Amino acid sequence: MTYKEIQHLYWRAGYGLKPRELQYLSTLSKAVIVDDLFKKSKTIVPLEKDLSFIKDFPQDKLKVNKELRRKFNRRNFEETKILNIIWLKRLETTPRVLRERMTLFWANHFVCRDMTTSHILQFNTTLRTHALGNFKDFLKAISKEASMIKYLNLRQNRKSSPNENFARELLELFTLGEGHYSEKDIKECARAFTGYNYEFDGTFRLVKRQHDFGQKQVFGRQGDFNGDDIIDIILENRQCAVHICEKIYSYFVNTNLNDDHIEKMVKVFYSNYDIEKLMRFVFSSSWFYNSENIGTKIKSSIDLIVGIQRMVPVHFTKKQELFKLQTLLDQFLLDPPNVAGWKGGKSWITTNSLLLRIKLPSMILEKESYSFQARGEERNSRIVSVKNKYQEKLTVDVDWKAYRRSIKKISLELLKESLILSDINKGTQYYVNKMGLKPSRKNLVKLMSLPEYQLC
Amino acid sequence: MKRRHFIKNTSLATGMALVPNFLKAFDDLMPEILSHRNLVVIHLEGGNDGLNTIVPFNNDIYFNSRPKIAIKKQNTIRLNDDLGFHKSLAPLKRLFDSGHLSIINNVGYPNPSRSHFVSSDIWQTASSHESIQTSGWIGRYLDKYGKMPYDAIQIDDDLSLALRGVHRNGIATRNAKQLYRSLQESNFNEILSYYEKEHHAEHNLGYLYQTMIDSKSSARYLYETVHDSKLSDKYPKSGLSGQLKVIGQFINSGLDTHIYYAKLKGFDTHASQLGKQDKLLKVYAEAIDVFVKDLKKTNRFKDTLILTFSEFGRRVKQNFSNGTDHGAANNVFVIGETLKKSGLYNDLATLQDLDANGDIKYEVDFRSIYQTILTNWLQVSAEGIVNSSQKNLGFI
Repeated sequence: MTYKEIQHLYWRAGYGLKPRELQYLSTLSKAVIVDDLFKKSKTIVPLEKDLSFIKDFPQDKLKVNKELRRKFNRRNFEETKILNIIWLKRLETTPRVLRERMTLFWANHFVCRDMTTSHILQFNTTLRTHALGNFKDFLKAISKEASMIKYLNLRQNRKSSPNENFARELLELFTLGEGHYSEKDIKECARAFTGYNYEFDGTFRLVKRQHDFGQKQVFGRQGDFNGDDIIDIILENRQCAVHICEKIYSYFVNTNLNDDHIEKMVKVFYSNYDIEKLMRFVFSSSWFYNSENIGTKIKSSIDLIVGIQRMVPVHFTKKQELFKLQTLLDQFLLDPPNVAGWKGGKSWITTNSLLLRIKLPSMILEKESYSFQARGEERNSRIVSVKNKYQEKLTVDVDWKAYRRSIKKISLELLKESLILSDINKGTQYYVNKMGLKPSRKNLVKLMSLPEYQLC
Repeated sequence: MKRRHFIKNTSLATGMALVPNFLKAFDDLMPEILSHRNLVVIHLEGGNDGLNTIVPFNNDIYFNSRPKIAIKKQNTIRLNDDLGFHKSLAPLKRLFDSGHLSIINNVGYPNPSRSHFVSSDIWQTASSHESIQTSGWIGRYLDKYGKMPYDAIQIDDDLSLALRGVHRNGIATRNAKQLYRSLQESNFNEILSYYEKEHHAEHNLGYLYQTMIDSKSSARYLYETVHDSKLSDKYPKSGLSGQLKVIGQFINSGLDTHIYYAKLKGFDTHASQLGKQDKLLKVYAEAIDVFVKDLKKTNRFKDTLILTFSEFGRRVKQNFSNGTDHGAANNVFVIGETLKKSGLYNDLATLQDLDANGDIKYEVDFRSIYQTILTNWLQVSAEGIVNSSQKNLGFI
């Protein structure tokens, strides 16, 4: 494989490679490289978050003490913010890049938001556990997660009065896609998920007296289906495999869907919904490496923040600043904008966001001042309030020593190949040519500031 | 220079009196010369419950369907014998009384989607549910009639689909200085100085460079044109107020911009709806109130039309959680000084004839509202923007 192809694989399946890693992998065959990617992601390591603070809030006291509950909520709010940092750090340092990439992908498929730290941590662990597993098991586990039960109002979904929120998103977003079910199907599905609830510690609990054990008619079938039965029935529909494959193609390959490629993916996926098998197929396919798929995806904000830091290790001395960056760039881990998640693609780019994105490398690496304002929206202001100040600088420790070690005997040309996957504009190429030959700090920042670096 | 552009420029330069008759065929040339009209579009995101906004306080079906969350007559502000404002909308009553507000009931489209995202896309792209377009209706307005990226501005960090056209986009900015300041301190200008046009904006790289070029031209324009006009200091501290304040400043500065876009989030009230909606409608009404007063002070209210919509209404029947689930047809507010049909444009559906889901059936297609605004207010042909034949509602 060429450098470009390997870096393409690693940007889509992970967060990019350093020049030396790229050099090393280029000596191996495609089969070995792809296999290695999966091997490295075999183990499942949950985010490591200390939850001992919960001991200070005994459940029986929380039930009766309103003030304690308020304190508990506030504490959870702070602890969940710490979890955000832990996740971000994980992305920057993990050797299990594929599992992390898949986890983030699924976090944007099974979109969920919850401020109870232990619950959202458990949810996140479920995401990474099943990230390369079986989609059916995955879906069943997700439907029983405390955070999901809260987020999509399953707790309010009772026999006497069903709440359709979960059932609708299950069909529309998680499985079949809009237009492949009727309103009646939603209502009947909702009945099957009645009584879903959870314990204080986040374990699933079915409240029998709120569950509707009656006959349901869904997708032309009739039976006393429960939630898991419904999931089995939905997955029998090939459209579910189509919908998931389209979403995976759009995220990992190209937002312009290729029906022929997707049909091939569906053939692999539909038989038993094995996610790892599907991803192996995608990364091994020759079309995955077609030129129209390389360097044409617009990086998400997290891709940018993580990508820069995987090239040069950075320590943010104030964690507040990582919140600020995520807020400014409009992608805050654990805080999706809505049930459909981050839209991705061109929607990352506006006149405004592009300015910030181009400036980002110098803000982080060269501590250049900036005058971007965080949005004052209700949603984010609960997470972080950024003062309306001009000309701020990030306080960061940049590990230039590590960078210098990593580029020993590396040419600017190779550095450029590691950083830029897209074609370079003719005029801009002239600008790059003027940089000279050294992979200096200055040149690194210059390359990362090119619009071309926004693509992977 | 293309002939069309040439004609445009000369006609602008020479002024109306000298425009030869043959040019009148170019209907898009006229508005420029006549006056500078603005359209402000506000999206209430999440699906506002229209029935608790314009309350049918004499309707038994309404009360029977909503035992816990129906609003009683004495808690509404009377609009006519059947309908009343939610009390949070008190500031809008003056607009209603003076004929500056038109409430269009039962607005929707055939075969309604109850998905936020799909229905928002339908509203933003002026599409039918069966074939949803990929470009926004304001974007297509820019494609046809836009000259500069700042012809349409969203006061936000991200740009809604509505403002994304096939060839042109509007811009997103939070204020007049943000773009300019950030431009000054970045290597943006240096990079752009080397750029050679070779890509199509449809490709992502071409799109990135085009956006950079748009940023640069808009940043300078906004920075130089917007002045700190004397704005009311009474804008409440809310997201929407902040956006309208900036729009007020832009309009009062005489920007060439034609369309402004703002959003208020949080209307997806599946549970405990009452308190939440009270608050949100209050935020909305108070923001509109100050905004309109500001525009009146500078006599720009007569040039401004405000359109407020939500992607769908909510189910007539409440749910168990004292909230409402996704519904269908809903009301739309049009605010302006020169409305031809103000007050209640049409009656609210009786609630006797609901669709299979128990939702209000649409009577007015939302695209006919766009069509009316494009034709009668912005005075351009809606052809190619609203791609279906719609009737002119004549409210303006």
